[in-house]
Amino acid sequence: MTHRSFSRVIHTVFDRFLVLPIGAVIALVWANTAPESYFVMAQQLSFAVNEIGMAFFFALMAQEIAEALMPGGALHSWRRWTLPLIAAAGGIVGAVAMYLGFVRLNYEYSLASAWPIACAIDAAATYYVLRTILPRSPAVPFALLLAIVTDVVGMIIAAPRYLVLQARVGGVALLIGALGLAAAMRAMKVRAFWPYLFICGTMSWVAFYWEGLHPAFALIPLIPFLRHEPRRTDVFADPPDDDAVHHAEHSWHVIVQPVLFLFGLVNAGVVLKSYDTGSWAMLAAQLLGRPIGVLLAVGAAVAIGWHLPTRMGWRELVVVAFATSTGFAIALFLATGVLAMGPVLEQAKIGVLGSAAGLVLALIAARVLRVGKLAH
Amino acid sequence: MRRLLTAAAFLFLLGVRIAPAQPTSALPTFPESLKFAVIGDNGTGDSEEYDVGARLGEARNAFPFEFVVMLGDNMYGRQQADDFVAKFERPYGMLLKSGVRFFASLGNHDNPNNRSYAGFNMDGQRYYTYVKKNVRFVVLDTNQLDPRQLAWIDTTLKQSSDDWKICYFHHPIYSDGGRHGSDVQLRVALEPLFVKYGVDVVYAGHDHIYERIKPQRGITYFVNGSSGELRKGDVHPSALTAAYFDQDQVFSLVEVNGDDLYFQARSRTGRTVDAGVIHRQARVQAVAP
Repeated sequence: MTHRSFSRVIHTVFDRFLVLPIGAVIALVWANTAPESYFVMAQQLSFAVNEIGMAFFFALMAQEIAEALMPGGALHSWRRWTLPLIAAAGGIVGAVAMYLGFVRLNYEYSLASAWPIACAIDAAATYYVLRTILPRSPAVPFALLLAIVTDVVGMIIAAPRYLVLQARVGGVALLIGALGLAAAMRAMKVRAFWPYLFICGTMSWVAFYWEGLHPAFALIPLIPFLRHEPRRTDVFADPPDDDAVHHAEHSWHVIVQPVLFLFGLVNAGVVLKSYDTGSWAMLAAQLLGRPIGVLLAVGAAVAIGWHLPTRMGWRELVVVAFATSTGFAIALFLATGVLAMGPVLEQAKIGVLGSAAGLVLALIAARVLRVGKLAH
Repeated sequence: MRRLLTAAAFLFLLGVRIAPAQPTSALPTFPESLKFAVIGDNGTGDSEEYDVGARLGEARNAFPFEFVVMLGDNMYGRQQADDFVAKFERPYGMLLKSGVRFFASLGNHDNPNNRSYAGFNMDGQRYYTYVKKNVRFVVLDTNQLDPRQLAWIDTTLKQSSDDWKICYFHHPIYSDGGRHGSDVQLRVALEPLFVKYGVDVVYAGHDHIYERIKPQRGITYFVNGSSGELRKGDVHPSALTAAYFDQDQVFSLVEVNGDDLYFQARSRTGRTVDAGVIHRQARVQAVAP
């Protein structure tokens, strides 16, 4: 392999968040061959990775989404929002109803608490598979908006369910202090990201932790105070490096890579023998419940007068519905956020990892329905 | 003789557990001892559960145990009011009528709300503790081992000065059951606490078999998840296995007398499938000022 092709592979792995699945594969092999040493490692690293490191990932995502939604951004147009919003609502209801129905039919009551995990779409995976099948189609921003709304709902549900030993008072005051300091820094025209993230971010992180909220989301309230430049490419497209803001984001993107690798390594290790009803329920929720929910909700909206985006028909919608049925990284995060260690979490994780099959279903649907690049 | 005594004293001070389970044929039934029974994965409402209930009732004539430990999956399937009758109150009616109390832990099939059912004596708690004579029982909910429960286990075991510490819960951290086997993630979290605070015996269910594990870091582990459900031929014996039975439903009878714990596992037909005695581990803290 030449130096140039090696660099290209590394670039692709970093840009497409492939470090996470690589970490996940290593974790799966490790957990199924030497489980004791794997779980000791996972137990030791989980707090640092899930609660501290992932805060940078969610902040970066929030920053990129904010820029894509601002005037001049790729997703800026409130007209585009209505139908994806309806589709997201339908997908959430479909996935959660399927999960709880499956659990209830099997009388596995202890699994019911895992339902928030069904409110998760791996937006990055969705984006890359759709961009492969339907390049330059309005189906891509449609699916991205659907995924973002779904994930935001999932995070709102998960944040207060954080399993903290003991919630303390004083968090709100500290958060107000962090936001006030960020506002002051913005007024003083502090342009670099890092003072916001490390000074105000630390205060916000402690505030979230004290209040019993998921601290991985602690940097998100600071995003409005950071500098933004419109992001003309989609959220998960190769990060542009066309101005100072995007240059800083590029560095931020690089810092997030080891965090994502470790996230996959620490969280995706499950003993596959642990599969059980919860795994099947999660798979059914993601691969059946969500697509059915999305299609029914959009169908109902169209029946009462809404219109599908131009150049996007029902066949494309079916492909979108399957492409958004993968929970993977975000679902894995919600799983570790709302469930404590134990068999319920293990079963849910196996279902979440299996939901990667949604991407294959999207490809099959595109082939069968003759959509986009797979039409021939 | 003097050398032997010196060696024994040395091992005692080091907290070494010196005596593994010894086979024995019957329970001694000392008048002042603590006597209890163990069932797991029982709540099917099928005839096998009723058979085990009848054997327990008969066993109590000769071995008057005062309570029953339940290892989870106390109820399968539907869990409405009439199910509590068909799957619990009727099969164990003879015991309940004679005042025997049941202390349950939650399994994956149990509705978490069942912790408020009076017959299970959980007082609305997912995890709890109680003391009987010189034995501390610590009952866990292993469906989800959250930070609060882990902190509670640490505190409860640390504060216990009881002679014996017995923990029980649903998911086994050591098991040779083919369907589930050992839950290694739970083991990584729980075993250090058990070792640190001198837990003597651990009971679990989930795998629908009976198995006794060779002492691991001084602790004897039992799997007794076949008091209703049964997975025939599911044990894959390994170097961990001390004894097992996977051909019929099993319940256990236990007697704690001073520093000895006698156990006997019986099948649905009343046949003894395993029996022995465990001598209480010596603890360093027992001789500390």
